[in-house]
Amino acid sequence: MDTPPTLSLSRSTFAKLSPHPYLVANLTGQGRSKSNSSPACCRTNGRTPQQARPLQVHPSSLTHAHGSALVRNGDTTVICGVRAEILPVSNIPQYRPRSHGEVDSDSSSSSRELRDYDLLVPNIELATGCATQFLPGVPPTTLAQTLSTRVYSLLHSCHLVDAADLRIWHNPKDSSSSEAANAQDKMDEDEDANSHKEEDAEPQLMAYWVLYIDLLFVSFDGNPFDAAWTAVLAALHDTKLPSARWDPDREMIVCSPPTRSLRLSGLPIACTAAIFVEKEHGDTGGRHWILLDPDRLEETLCREVVTMVVDCSDGETRVRAIEKHGGTVIGRELIRAFAGVAEKRWTEVQKSAFLTDK
Amino acid sequence: MTDRRRINGPVGATFPPVFVYEGEDAVKETKKTRSRPPNAIRKMYLKTGVTPSASGSAYLEIETSAKGSGSGLKLSCTVHGPRSLPRSTPFSPHIILSTHVKYAPFATRQRRGYLRDSTERDLGTHLETALRGAIIADRWPKSGVDIIISIIEGDQDRESSKAEGDESWDMMNALSGCITVASAALADAGIDCVDTVAGGVAALVRNAADDSVSNIVIDPVPSEHEKILAACCIAYLPTRDEVTNLWFKGDLGASDMELYTSLVEKGIQASKYANRVLVECLGETVG
Repeated sequence: MDTPPTLSLSRSTFAKLSPHPYLVANLTGQGRSKSNSSPACCRTNGRTPQQARPLQVHPSSLTHAHGSALVRNGDTTVICGVRAEILPVSNIPQYRPRSHGEVDSDSSSSSRELRDYDLLVPNIELATGCATQFLPGVPPTTLAQTLSTRVYSLLHSCHLVDAADLRIWHNPKDSSSSEAANAQDKMDEDEDANSHKEEDAEPQLMAYWVLYIDLLFVSFDGNPFDAAWTAVLAALHDTKLPSARWDPDREMIVCSPPTRSLRLSGLPIACTAAIFVEKEHGDTGGRHWILLDPDRLEETLCREVVTMVVDCSDGETRVRAIEKHGGTVIGRELIRAFAGVAEKRWTEVQKSAFLTDK
Repeated sequence: MTDRRRINGPVGATFPPVFVYEGEDAVKETKKTRSRPPNAIRKMYLKTGVTPSASGSAYLEIETSAKGSGSGLKLSCTVHGPRSLPRSTPFSPHIILSTHVKYAPFATRQRRGYLRDSTERDLGTHLETALRGAIIADRWPKSGVDIIISIIEGDQDRESSKAEGDESWDMMNALSGCITVASAALADAGIDCVDTVAGGVAALVRNAADDSVSNIVIDPVPSEHEKILAACCIAYLPTRDEVTNLWFKGDLGASDMELYTSLVEKGIQASKYANRVLVECLGETVG
């Protein structure tokens, strides 16, 4: 691992020819001219290992979606649109009726509802030409499928959305009284009797809202999961559902303008780092670096990736998910240390993206 | 057969919400009026280099119509190439263009699926024809270039009751936007073209339901006119004075040649305006 100090190649050529030694040379500070006063440990993109790229979030940028956000994390750009559609209970196979008074005994019953009826549908589209390896015309790549599934399982496991927000109730009492107040349609006597009979009827659950969460990568430069998850969060924060009610005359669900925001519990934020080892081949030995928010070059050179989802919104740090793929460097100690990094990242993201909501 | 490589959602069918307006919320029946003179296009914003990982890219946004209920067109285009074709492909003396236009699932009033439908394939074919006339194709034998356009937001009115059967007219506007943005992205990728090609739309419209007088406008917005009788989308090279693609749709009397000619002329006019924006944007990129 001895890079000659007089490097006759230009930076970009060196990076293309042998990316691994190039990254090592950058991180160890070899081959850097003495006049350069930058810190010794620096990545190819000029960041320090624990420095993430600046994050920009623009909510409500789309007209046709119920909630949307554009997230830009360095050169990775994602657009997320949340679209709500109505799923009548009659269309649900194996539907278990639910009475109005029934209280969610714990969050698990709510999340079971979300999961069993498939009320959250995240999909990630990478094949938009966002990078050379993702061209359209082919079925979703492994990466796209993995990302969709990871977002899907994280949405369910961290109980972000409450199923109560997605239920559409029909309360016979309310609708008859409001119709009386309107006094527009004159009821016949037998119809009147009908409505009286309905008055002691229990409120009925008529339908659910289904949230189609579609993500489109406009530009891809590493760390897709963090960007996608932030976009999902921001779009869900932005989502406003219209107030829906069952119209007995039309026998369908109709909506009217007053909208309400979706209530989200907590603010789990993902933080990804790649572990770069000094030795290109062989498993052990050598130094390693934990590179936060890796870009495309770094991602291709690292085998081990760790993602931690933390939520500090209620004062203390809660780890919502830990994922680690490949490699053997990260052990118990490093995971614990990484929680601190994730916590710092949480504050950063919260400041740049979600502070106005709070 | 469901696609198991995507998350498909509930088995039962879901429906988009249906809105009912009552009392003061009721929609006021507004007269459909055009917000700008008949020979002016909407403002557009064009920027190159939005996708650093691609060889060339551009983003186009056309201003929302003044009423606020419509949404402007938002397009993102990436160009990959020129690059070598796979070994199995037969020899080609010129560059092989492949165009791909896709609406995002949230781009239109109805949620779109992930598979391309006939509209999108149609747009892709028209776009290819328009660009093939502009690229100097024999400079790159045995190579290919991919042009991918994602329609992030379609040019559609939000209220569905008003705009029935307008989709075919929306396609015209989408295509003209696609041509302009692809041209900018090609220039950003450094692919040699004889000229910058830009798209323009002209339409024959009727403004009042009972009115028998129809007139020609450029850059039509379906929600601003009572009825669109015919429309024509043109891809035009200004310095060569050449039309690379002409797409005509609608019904027009076969006897009236004058009307056809003036519709095409207005289309060319619209494309010249778009070209001005394009050239200005590229000037910023180069300079």
